Amino acid sequence: MSVLVTGAGGFLGSVLVARLLASGQNYVRCFVRANSDLSRLEDLRRAYPSACIDQVAGNLASRSTACHVVQGIHTVYHLAAAMRGAAATLFHDTVVASESLLQALEREGGSPRVVLTSSLGVYGTSDLPGSCSITEDCPLDAKPEGRDSYTHAKIWQEQLFRDFATQRSIDLVVVRPGVLYGPGGKAFPSRVGIVVGDTLFQLGGVKNLLPLSYVENCADAIILAGISPSASGQSYNVLDDDLPTVSEFIQGYKQQVAKIPSVHVPYGLAMLASRAVARYHRYSRGQIPALLTPYKTAAIWKGHRFDNQRIKDLGWKQQVPTAEALRRTFASFASLGAGSLRWNSRPTGGDAGLDARTP
Amino acid sequence: MTLKVVLVGCGKVADQHIAEIQKTFAARMVAVCDTELLMAKQVAVRYHIPNYYTDFDEMLAKENPDVVHIATPPSSHLSLARKALDANCHLVVEKPVALDFAEAEQLVRHAERRQRKLTVCYTYYFDPILRTLRALVQEGAMGEVVHLESFLGYDLAGAFGRPLLADRDHWVHSLPGGLLQNVLDHILNKITEFLPDDNPSVLVRSWQGSQEVTNSSLLDELRVMIVGQRASAYGTFSAQIRPVQHTLIFHGTKNTAYLDFTNSTITLDASTKLPGVIGRLATPFGRSWRHFRQGGKNLARFARSDYQFFAGFQTLIAEFHESILHDTPLPIPYREILRVAAMTDAVIDQLLGAEVLPR
Repeated sequence: MSVLVTGAGGFLGSVLVARLLASGQNYVRCFVRANSDLSRLEDLRRAYPSACIDQVAGNLASRSTACHVVQGIHTVYHLAAAMRGAAATLFHDTVVASESLLQALEREGGSPRVVLTSSLGVYGTSDLPGSCSITEDCPLDAKPEGRDSYTHAKIWQEQLFRDFATQRSIDLVVVRPGVLYGPGGKAFPSRVGIVVGDTLFQLGGVKNLLPLSYVENCADAIILAGISPSASGQSYNVLDDDLPTVSEFIQGYKQQVAKIPSVHVPYGLAMLASRAVARYHRYSRGQIPALLTPYKTAAIWKGHRFDNQRIKDLGWKQQVPTAEALRRTFASFASLGAGSLRWNSRPTGGDAGLDARTP
Repeated sequence: MTLKVVLVGCGKVADQHIAEIQKTFAARMVAVCDTELLMAKQVAVRYHIPNYYTDFDEMLAKENPDVVHIATPPSSHLSLARKALDANCHLVVEKPVALDFAEAEQLVRHAERRQRKLTVCYTYYFDPILRTLRALVQEGAMGEVVHLESFLGYDLAGAFGRPLLADRDHWVHSLPGGLLQNVLDHILNKITEFLPDDNPSVLVRSWQGSQEVTNSSLLDELRVMIVGQRASAYGTFSAQIRPVQHTLIFHGTKNTAYLDFTNSTITLDASTKLPGVIGRLATPFGRSWRHFRQGGKNLARFARSDYQFFAGFQTLIAEFHESILHDTPLPIPYREILRVAAMTDAVIDQLLGAEVLPR
């Protein structure tokens, strides 16, 4: 069986390729961006000399590239998506690229298993009470334009796949990982809070659980979704058990990695601030961006809990316990040295800081 | 009368156009168009624009717009502009206005024949600090221009640089002058306006400076020296220098002005009137005071919601609408647009003819 992993040069993609090879898969086609860091794939080539790691670089939005990359593939693990950038770029590289992939699969024929890596962020949680446990049956957000550009693109992407699967012949499985973490990952995702200057503002209640998904555990769940016959047409939340609260996560970081300034903003106060920011954004005709709005704040920091029973019922078991995963992650951050670590971004991501707005 | 505006090309800069159009009172967005249906649709949804198209001709026929914004890659500007002008539309064209001077001239002449108005998105042409400098020059406070230094920094990891490096098929790669051709307008239009000579000599040097571009044909460092009969200028583009800066220095026979477009400040450096050591001691305080006053002015602008990042573009759009509705002079004279195009040709010709300097 030939498998394709799009986004194979990324944080989750490279781990997924490693787990596929470890599980005995001997042919993996890896689709990467032209400027991806390929060192992890090179390491895998050395670790699995008998396996074939077929690497294709390019832009999936290109029809010819997409056609080339899906040739002879039985299972597609679609992870490729833009993680940051302008709204149009995020949309193009996530949604238009997905449409191109789907059209290529249709031309290729057959009924390949396609595992879409979506996000927990796609749910329409803004209007749901914080005490609500979010299962896979919760509807997608009906107002994606009210969310941040990344989530907006992910919601459109999942809807695109769903529409395509109902009309054409692909065997779709949707996996919705929680906040991915692990060595090489981002230190503080948006569900923890926002960073202003060098200060972390922790938003939401102190007891809010952080819906973490350790990158190796998540990769295992994605592979299971790709091979289980009963997964066909299903969606799965993928997050670990024994989750820490956001406060515990920050505390763990401070104890094991570096002392960082942080301020806790309770949910009610965050909501007030969001209303003020949104109102001032409108009043000042966009003089400051609407980074916080009541809709976004309610969706992210209200304290919803996510249910992972369905992926467990499929047979997924969390291989790396949360405590051990956190220890490995923090140890990795610490080994990079607090001085060299930009704690509000990926420690190994090479974030260049200033984002010039000149095209 | 409210002008009906449509836009073609729903990539990154489309957001900037639409956001500014929606701030004006004289116009309303009625439709957008992109060959990629999803791109057109997402912009329409995000900005609540009633209609979207994939066929430009169909949009012109159905919407009967007064103004067309062209935000597509420059290779398509001339053909789209002709169609829009033939449909009796006025035009706002993204920079660079065309692929070369010959195309730019055809575009301008066609607009003149059709008695329609045309302007180019020189985003900073009406920036408040550049308007202040223009006023100082006109009232004689600067004296005669002797030398200009136009500097544009760039972040290859930023919102515009990142997609460019990730995608070898990005349209910027297909421009004869690559990335440099796409940004030259921002450097040159600040020079041509103040340089009295029509045919100055131009000397160009360029090379690959950043590690990120070494696997591509992109050049990311440019130095341009322009020498006329009565004045000279330097143009600098750099993707390496930090912090990322965007500045203009105007050296006149009476005063020198420093314009910082990133922080929207303009300060003058006049010769001290105090003698000897007292003058040398007083000068830094004088400079600090002038910066302090600029900070105060910006604070006052912020309080009036007038401290917008694209304030210059906003003014350009407003003045263009004014020019259409009341037949007032164009905000940017055609002569200026053509001088920039001619100087861009001079730079690109040397770039293409020259041997690239080793890194």
